[in-house]
Amino acid sequence: MAANFWTSSHYKQLLDPEQVDVVNPIDKEKGLTPEEFKLIKIHMTNHIWRVAQQVKVRQRVIATAVTYFRRVYTRKSMTEYDPRLVAPTCLYLASKAEESTVQARLLVFYIKKMCPDEKYRFEIKDILEMEMKLLEALDYYLVVFHPYRALLQLLQDANMTDLTHISWGLVNDTYKTDLILIYPPHMIALACIYIASVLKDKETTAWFEELRVDMNVVKNISMEILNFYESRIEAFKGIPEAYKSMTEEKINAALNKLAMK
Amino acid sequence: MDAYEKLEKVGEGTYGKVYKAIEKNTGKIVALKKTRLPEDEEGVPPTTLREVSILRMLSIDPHVVRLLDLKQGQNKEGKTILYLVFEYMDTDLKKYIKSFRANHSLIPSKIVKTLMYQLCKGIAFCHGHGVLHRDLKPHNLLMDRKTMMLKIADLGLSRAFTVPMKKYTHEILTLWYRAPEVLLGATHYSTPVDIWSVGCIFAELVTTQPLFAGDSELQQLLHIFRLLGTPNEQVWPGLSKLPNWHEYPQWTPKNLSTAVPTLDTNGLDLLSKMLQYEPAKRISAKKAMEHPYFDELNKAYL
Repeated sequence: MAANFWTSSHYKQLLDPEQVDVVNPIDKEKGLTPEEFKLIKIHMTNHIWRVAQQVKVRQRVIATAVTYFRRVYTRKSMTEYDPRLVAPTCLYLASKAEESTVQARLLVFYIKKMCPDEKYRFEIKDILEMEMKLLEALDYYLVVFHPYRALLQLLQDANMTDLTHISWGLVNDTYKTDLILIYPPHMIALACIYIASVLKDKETTAWFEELRVDMNVVKNISMEILNFYESRIEAFKGIPEAYKSMTEEKINAALNKLAMK
Repeated sequence: MDAYEKLEKVGEGTYGKVYKAIEKNTGKIVALKKTRLPEDEEGVPPTTLREVSILRMLSIDPHVVRLLDLKQGQNKEGKTILYLVFEYMDTDLKKYIKSFRANHSLIPSKIVKTLMYQLCKGIAFCHGHGVLHRDLKPHNLLMDRKTMMLKIADLGLSRAFTVPMKKYTHEILTLWYRAPEVLLGATHYSTPVDIWSVGCIFAELVTTQPLFAGDSELQQLLHIFRLLGTPNEQVWPGLSKLPNWHEYPQWTPKNLSTAVPTLDTNGLDLLSKMLQYEPAKRISAKKAMEHPYFDELNKAYL
């Protein structure tokens, strides 16, 4: 939303890696494991993505929504804040904050169309109620910065615009992790460029040196991204269909533990 | 909302009432801005969200009104209400100017200077954070009569800008302080629109009269042209391509001092830099702070 990241509330709100991905005590009591917690967050990120596709919003609205979603669960429990309602409400809030409002009734309509599972379906009043709760949970800090703009500028500067497609996809996938809550967006962009250049066998050492950024941070972020892919491949075992049904089962089991609705 | 007790209604904002209130625990006087959520099914209005999130970011500068807290409450019908809790300021620039005008007296030039410096500083801060105000006017500038502290308020219409600039809705500014590019229908405008408003406020502080008091967009333009001369492609390249531009009566520029006779040379120079036709030539808020007009101020205390 704003042009200057360093003076923003987003910058001041960055967390330490230890502060994210911690299962809330209330959820823990219900038996939610860290793996399940992570899985639900990935699953709901995908849910936001799919709903967003239906109502046709810009990429940054999706990214902002996912950031809100992940930020909420560094502070609140999934037991009290049903992720299936929080996810679309984050999208609703993000669409307003990014000045491309999506009507609540449209969201409700498309979710009903998309989701046969009754537990994902909500009424307008549920979304409006959750909107107020989320504003408090987010402490009304709504300005979020994303790696996309920095990515394009950096690729231009590095004369590597041929990596745009692959690194853009990598940035998209970082939202399946909590990286956006921990690192400045341009560092995430750099990590994605770094991975893309390695994948495409591009020599970038000199360029990175010239940037004078902390390469350790870039490499840490890169490792996290690669770990994310690896964990998925691990669960995958090369059989996409089996993976899909297996994760669905896992997610349902995890959500059932929280016993909501 | 039990933490505050309303004392009196002090104003009606763009989208809600403003009350003077007391924080029961501390006895502190605050301003409560009440935002009733609309009856329709769209929750918190985007304008409110925008103001809140921008204030969350800017409310750390001494010249931006401080947002102390946000509270959710319910009215008698059970509808949700959002309260923005601001520090209380006892007056605004509109009332302040009016008090002098009513007495047929002028605001002492030293006070004009200190108010102008704070205004430039606050605007420089907003612009530095990527935020345009877009609705600067004396009514939106809060003041403390005792300390002569000035604070920018009502950022409801402001929005963060990104470069390159996109199209903004242009039915926004109060006519009197509206920049010519906005009046002429420019869709790509930026920080200079705020500087134009600052220039108009500057002149009004000096004379206690609005500089360009038009009652329609056309009248507003003609007021401007009458003083500064009808602009042309030489003084403002690209002018003729603006959507609302057509042939206007031709006036030659008058000396600015005819409009603000009591302003000194440095002040006139600064004012003329704020009222440049071509937006890119208009002085920035940051540069304005360094202008010799402010040299005699003790800036350390502002």
